[in-house]
Amino acid sequence: MSRLKLALDLEGTSRGRQVRDIVEGLGRLHWVRGALVVSPDGFVIAAEVPPGLAVEPLAALAATLGRDLEVGASRLGHGAFQTALFSADDGTVLLAASRIGFVVALAEPQANLQSVRSALSEAVTLIEAAWAPGEAAPAI
Amino acid sequence: MTAVLDRLLHPGGRRRSPTDFFGQADRLRREGRYAEAASLVASGLALDPSSVTGHLLAAYLHIAQRTIEPAKREFRWVLGRDPAHPRALLGLARIALEEGDLVGCRECLSSALRAYPDFPEARAVLDAIAAPDASAAPTAAPPRLERLRLPGAARALVVVDTQGRALVERPAVEGAGPRLARVARLAGAALHRAGFGPLRRAILDDREQTDFIRADSALTLALALPRTTPIPQGLLEVNRLWGAVQHELAVTRDEKPVPPPDSIRRVS
Repeated sequence: MSRLKLALDLEGTSRGRQVRDIVEGLGRLHWVRGALVVSPDGFVIAAEVPPGLAVEPLAALAATLGRDLEVGASRLGHGAFQTALFSADDGTVLLAASRIGFVVALAEPQANLQSVRSALSEAVTLIEAAWAPGEAAPAI
Repeated sequence: MTAVLDRLLHPGGRRRSPTDFFGQADRLRREGRYAEAASLVASGLALDPSSVTGHLLAAYLHIAQRTIEPAKREFRWVLGRDPAHPRALLGLARIALEEGDLVGCRECLSSALRAYPDFPEARAVLDAIAAPDASAAPTAAPPRLERLRLPGAARALVVVDTQGRALVERPAVEGAGPRLARVARLAGAALHRAGFGPLRRAILDDREQTDFIRADSALTLALALPRTTPIPQGLLEVNRLWGAVQHELAVTRDEKPVPPPDSIRRVS
């Protein structure tokens, strides 16, 4: 195996591992029921959700909502969309924009939303740090 | 660059097929490594320019990198080959939604579901943006709530009803009402999917401002304040305005029409 291939494989493994760690970390927070990272096209990159919750439809909605917020913020000249929190009587969906897509957390009503928001921001910072180098998009 | 990488990765090995490139690209995409994946897709498409898989992957990667026009072209290319391709239809539907084209979005999703009724992602998005029930639409014009007093630092206030009609738009910004209605419906659908119930409150942060939102089954209200606004203060302001809107609506409902002067009878 060439050194370059080994380096690419290790980098891939560490990034894949990192995004799974981020999702697991969010899922371990008190009163957080689950978390996922979804690409802007709605693909589930990593997810930790309770059994019985259909992840693909939720991911499709989260990505659609995230893109709508991104496009809206940019169209209205407000700069980039960063985080959103949507609350209902039985829980809260938190969503944050990152380089690779949207980080989503599902929190119970008892959750400390400020802590979950902070954890989401930290998750985005980790993703930005891990994905920033050498990610210039080539023409397809 | 890709050719050099290819030679390094497969020294003396067999030439990689388009399927190899697309398979590896899909794996990288699943890790969020979009630029590397795009490079591999380009290599695969150079070998097989008519690959539906390659063009679909290219479209996904453009969306992932927020380059929408090329994504649209790629989805259309796929639909040129397979007019009922469900993933391409879903992709175009989501782009149409981003562009505010609700009708186009619904058409794409309906086409995808006609061909593949068991397509949960398309069903979820279509349910979220389904046209409001026309028979339930009020015939009267929505009441205009002009007397609301905004906080000094407020940047905008938008109130919409369930039909997406704006009751308040200050300042008037094209598309602000429909956008708020759309966000509320998508968020409501996501909350419902998560098992949490209907949308009650939201806080949306962008770089410059924070939108504080209150909602119930009849109304959605969004108050935009500077990003520096403390959350408790924003919540207080949006609650105050929510109460004022409810009061104004109650007053509007209770107001009896004043009889015109001609209709006043003289008492002799």
